Amino acid sequence: MKFGKLTAASFGLALGLTGLLGAASAQDAPQKKYKIYLSLSYSGNNWMSETANIIKALAKTPPYDKMVELKEVISGTDPQAQIAAYESMIDAKADGVISFPISPTALNRVVKRGCDRGVKFFMYDSTVTERCAYNVSYISAGFGENTAQELVNSLGGKGKIFMVRGVPGTSVDKRHYEGAMHIFSKYPGIKVVSEYYGYWDDRIAQQETAKALAAHPDVDGIWSELGEAGTLNAVVDRGGKLMPIVGENMNGFRQGFLNEDYKARGLKGVSSGSPPATAGYAFKLMMEILTGKRDLEPVNIEYPLPWARSDEMKPCQGEAIADGCNVFDAKLVPQGFSTVIYDPALLPEINLQSALTGEPVPGMTIQPLPKEIVKAANEPGINCNRCDPPADLYKLTTATATVQP
Amino acid sequence: MSLVPNESLPGTRPSRALFANGALMAGVFYVVLYGVYAAYDPGALSLATFTDLMNNAAPLALAAAGQTIVVLTRGFDLSLAGTISIVSVFMAVFPMEDAGGGAASFAACLAIGGAIGAVSGLLVAFRGIQSIAATLGVMIVCQGIALLILNAPGGAVAEWVSYEMTDVVFGFAPASGLVVLAFALAWLLLRKTDLGLSLYAIGADEGAAGLSGVPVARRRFWAYVLAGACYGAAGFMLSAQTATGDPNAGMPFLLLSFASVALGGTSLTGGQGGVVGSLIGACVLMLMQKVLFAAGVSSFYIGASQGALLILAILFGRLVSRAASSGDAK
Amino acid sequence: MTVEATLEAPTDTRRAARFSGEALTAMGLFALSAGMVAASPLISPALGSWSQIYTILLLVSFLLVISFGQGLVILTGGLDLSVGSVMMLGGVLTTTWIGGDSATFWGVMPVVLAFGAGIGALNGIGVAMVGIPPFIMTMGVGIVTASLALGYTGGTTLGAAPPPLLLLMKGDILGAPSVIVFVLLFCLVAWTLQSRTTFGRKVYAIGSSRRAARIAGVPIVSTTILVYATSGLCATLSGAMLVGYSNGATLRMGDPYLLPSIAAVVVGGSSILGGSGNFVNTICGALFLATLESLIAASGLGQGWRTILSGLIIVGALLVQSGWISGVFASVARRVRGAGG
Repeated sequence: MKFGKLTAASFGLALGLTGLLGAASAQDAPQKKYKIYLSLSYSGNNWMSETANIIKALAKTPPYDKMVELKEVISGTDPQAQIAAYESMIDAKADGVISFPISPTALNRVVKRGCDRGVKFFMYDSTVTERCAYNVSYISAGFGENTAQELVNSLGGKGKIFMVRGVPGTSVDKRHYEGAMHIFSKYPGIKVVSEYYGYWDDRIAQQETAKALAAHPDVDGIWSELGEAGTLNAVVDRGGKLMPIVGENMNGFRQGFLNEDYKARGLKGVSSGSPPATAGYAFKLMMEILTGKRDLEPVNIEYPLPWARSDEMKPCQGEAIADGCNVFDAKLVPQGFSTVIYDPALLPEINLQSALTGEPVPGMTIQPLPKEIVKAANEPGINCNRCDPPADLYKLTTATATVQP
Repeated sequence: MSLVPNESLPGTRPSRALFANGALMAGVFYVVLYGVYAAYDPGALSLATFTDLMNNAAPLALAAAGQTIVVLTRGFDLSLAGTISIVSVFMAVFPMEDAGGGAASFAACLAIGGAIGAVSGLLVAFRGIQSIAATLGVMIVCQGIALLILNAPGGAVAEWVSYEMTDVVFGFAPASGLVVLAFALAWLLLRKTDLGLSLYAIGADEGAAGLSGVPVARRRFWAYVLAGACYGAAGFMLSAQTATGDPNAGMPFLLLSFASVALGGTSLTGGQGGVVGSLIGACVLMLMQKVLFAAGVSSFYIGASQGALLILAILFGRLVSRAASSGDAK
Repeated sequence: MTVEATLEAPTDTRRAARFSGEALTAMGLFALSAGMVAASPLISPALGSWSQIYTILLLVSFLLVISFGQGLVILTGGLDLSVGSVMMLGGVLTTTWIGGDSATFWGVMPVVLAFGAGIGALNGIGVAMVGIPPFIMTMGVGIVTASLALGYTGGTTLGAAPPPLLLLMKGDILGAPSVIVFVLLFCLVAWTLQSRTTFGRKVYAIGSSRRAARIAGVPIVSTTILVYATSGLCATLSGAMLVGYSNGATLRMGDPYLLPSIAAVVVGGSSILGGSGNFVNTICGALFLATLESLIAASGLGQGWRTILSGLIIVGALLVQSGWISGVFASVARRVRGAGG
């Protein structure tokens, strides 16, 4: 306890110092206002608005509060609307565009045109295959194969499973699925008895899982893309035994791992997948490049895969994110809230309030990023076009196989 | 049936006057909106910006053109979402290079669209199934087929198509704008033919049209085929702009196509209006996005402004046309 | 009184002619649904059980409630494209204004429902008083509603489901799942409203012929506003139910229900142009769509084939239906001709 507080205090002190240094050096530079546009898909789900709030909070955190003029545009699910938005941004002489791209390919032309006119494009979470944009994403970190291996491990290499996929006809869903199938197909004892689409939405995942459970009540484990809080709801609603579930980072899902009753009924698994913190990291990278603190040609950058096993859940006390806690109180956030909004090294400027409201943390200053970046592997159709993937595309990075096929 | 305000005979002067009014109103609205845009952003008057706008609007405009043909016969066509998706993946999976390839692709797109339209037309015209239900089924089937052809966004549209169709030709005209213009001219010719006249007749009063010798079922069937061909062209222009395929590409067009039709002054209960108005209506919708961006409307409320503008535009058009027709009466 | 008297005669003959076709369609769809459930063990041995039927009924409940309102609007010759957004608003207001608190539920829930009905009434005013086409009015209101909800919540919908709603969606009444009891009651009330009250008759009259309805003295404006308000109310209620089921709201929770709400009405055999239809038909249409989906979900096909199959079956059902209806018309026509000769 005491030790924890002490380390927290010294950590805070260190942060404060570096922050001061950062602020000092920023004041030396002539103050230039950077025109930054934030282009989103549909700001209707928790995940998307968290990323927007994180970026807005960072843009108001000193010293960026005096350097950044941030404007937000929401384009819905229509790539054409985003093309039009990008065109407007380029015409408005943007310095940088930070964006969740709606399509990995349809935006390429307008992005290229923007690059030629000196606009920096930073894509977070989703990606474009145009080479002149910076892609910052966890996708290449292998959510599919690592979670699949974890599920196989907890099932002892055999059992009937469901696969809850995302939105049909999207490249992210395809990549996750293929990664997972790469693992499952190695184990003849693993049978995928039902495969359905939850559209990355907890309500739809819940309804689809309820249908699947009616057909296969004897399922042994579930692999789920975003929407896993709904997947869990459906299994809990049915009553009776639970099973291992691997999914993404929804707070409702992680809360489930803390529930003693659920644990006793057989719930375990891992929480991984798409972290909203990527958006903040991408924004900070872009600002470091724009302000000349970092020299980096357009490149695909990998954000580390969040990974929290069911026995590693640690509830946060109130709104504070400290001591490695990773689940919020159910009263503070919706069940679909994506918990990975903070990173002690990459994104210490954010707390729960800033992810919910877009307001900066009082007294916080922007912390410099670690020098090193992790380059992402080639993922054809995701972050490059007409390129070859590495031979070990689906190699395990986080999970290890404890059960041999 | 219940919402047609007047039961004037098809092909008589009032409906033609209204048609002209609808397109004219949409045109005036477009010019005014463009003026507002230019006031915020002087760059709006450049050829490059106009080309961007046309490239953006062309797919929706052509989709709305097809929708108009069906709406005129008092139908709703949901199949356009499926058709555009199929054409989008077709263009990306089977690219054909050079001008010849581009022409062949275009013909193939029209054919695909026409074939799908023929299926809808068979169901609606010859089996008597309600258009919205039949085309919903067709749309779902087409979405499935698109997913089978390409299971994630990707592929590459032929470079000739994606560059030439979005470029400026003769030094002053966006190619996409010329395509839209060509469809407008084609419509103006078609409108004078038996087929064109009977579309209005069927929409205004199907029973009367049948009694006066219009082969209702056959003409209605062709309406869906023509509409399908327009959706095919819309998909072609969309792939020119995005340069890749997407099995879900058509969905965003579904409601927007109806909005364009209504903005263009075509009555959604059939019998009145025309394609030209819808083409302009689609351009208005796309321009709205740009104007709201230029005006700096907060992103949360862009939707609210779009919805309100949509209703106001329709209201405005109705008021003016009502005023005009009462003026005629005097 | 006078309205009733003048309306009685014309609607009666129409109903008689229409009845057999509608009833046949409803029975056919119901039989088809039951047949699919009965045959489903072929796909997966666990299917065909009570738990499958319960799942279908539970999941169809949202659709049933929302499509009653949609059906009424369609009956007047309109279309309500705002139901998805209003449903979402109902869910969002339920979690943000009430949240996990039982105490405020009974006081605030009626306010939420009234709010949704108010938005519906706004649609009705635009359509009936201002004369804006229903398609555009409801689409515009839907877009505006969604956007205001986005601005109001800032993108994140806080709050959980009120315990009474959890009880409604997950609890039991007298040994039966309470949601099924509730939906049966809802259907009974809805059917009575549509088919056994003066209000219902006025709605049919407006849909059959606006001019005739006006001559007969039907208050068109107020009835139309009431119809759209009912649709808003139903969508809001459906949103609140979805909150109870999934314990929370998001800003896109209504989107998946817009097209199915229209499909249930139309597949049920009601005319999209208004004037004909019956809530029993809509119920059967919704049941058919839900059963179809749950079966296809269990089929193990890839998404492409799954989508194609569900589209083909819908078209197939429509084809069969159109055959029935034309058959019925033919027999009626024969009878009329026979009587004339």
